[in-house]
Amino acid sequence: MREAGPRTDRDLLRRYHDGGDLEARERLIEQYLPLVRSLARRYANRGEQLEDLVQVGCIGLIKAIDRFDVERGVELTTYATPNIIGEIKRHFRDKGWSVRVPRGLQELNVRLSQLLEQLTIQLERSPTIAELAKAAGVDEEEVLEALESGQAYTTVSLSAPSGHGDDADLDPLESLGTLEHEYEVSEDRAVLAPGLKALDERERRIIHLRFWEGLTQSQIAQQVGISQMHVSRLIRRSLEKVREEIATGRQV
Amino acid sequence: MAADAISLSIPHSEPFHGVARLVVGGLAARLDLSYEDLEDLQLALVSVLERDGYAAGPEVTVRLVVGEGTVGIAIGPLDTAELSADLEGQPEDGVPMRRLLETLVHKISLEERDGGHWLQLEKRVALAHGSTREEA
Repeated sequence: MREAGPRTDRDLLRRYHDGGDLEARERLIEQYLPLVRSLARRYANRGEQLEDLVQVGCIGLIKAIDRFDVERGVELTTYATPNIIGEIKRHFRDKGWSVRVPRGLQELNVRLSQLLEQLTIQLERSPTIAELAKAAGVDEEEVLEALESGQAYTTVSLSAPSGHGDDADLDPLESLGTLEHEYEVSEDRAVLAPGLKALDERERRIIHLRFWEGLTQSQIAQQVGISQMHVSRLIRRSLEKVREEIATGRQV
Repeated sequence: MAADAISLSIPHSEPFHGVARLVVGGLAARLDLSYEDLEDLQLALVSVLERDGYAAGPEVTVRLVVGEGTVGIAIGPLDTAELSADLEGQPEDGVPMRRLLETLVHKISLEERDGGHWLQLEKRVALAHGSTREEA
């Protein structure tokens, strides 16, 4: 078993940085894998497989090794730790997936969102699963699986509750438009029910349009300027937030 | 002609809601329903399943019935104390269940059968395919 220590690290880092020795880089990565694993374990109970987080953490480690300044009197462990954690957090934030979803399904989900928009315009109605499948060149089961995998989008960020008006915890690839802020709160007193306080202005508007005005998802999407699938996620997320708000209120 | 029916019994807990959603998805694909109709049915179903106060036991059954131009969802057995009040439209915080369901489906009723209370939802849909009998 190799011994990882400041001297060994420094030697290996010099060999890699000064002489371009890739084997030295490999050895450093191997030596710091236990650190990556231990940091990844802290985030493993958030719906991601440990091994996937280790892989993501390794990217942070590699970046740390590559960017490390040998001349500075800092140990690699000190420098690498925030890099590894940062990479893991970025992974959760950027991907927005709270559970492990195969990459193919993630991509198909994003593609379906675009096709849904196109087909709704083209057909002047909501497309069927078969039509979506045909347009995507996949079978119907794959479409259903991908749509269901969209449910895996996290509604809670790593470090904070769902942001107000923040698209980052939804689907960055889908945040095609932003809501205008001219929305005036409805006079319908029901919309001002205490549970709805948990929602930001945009979410309240969408909920109002859907359940008080009776607009369809595609009509809301058009009016608000975001994709239909994004509307769908916002509705689900909003209902969840309202439910949680009410439950919390009851407990207090 | 007898209606198509699918019955699914699942633990009345959140991790299994996705299973119910997928079954509705499978049926929607088979009937060639639109994406929006599918979304409405799934949201109506999951909104009911998610209410802890409606649970009458550790297990819940979802029964999907394909009628003439309709898809019915029966959910039960349920505890009706809270559900009845919500369906009667009593003041409710947030998005009232009655309002939510009335937006998503066309008919809502509470029925008593098999010794329990069942919520019966029905949505009118454009069925592209004829119904053929198949029970799961």
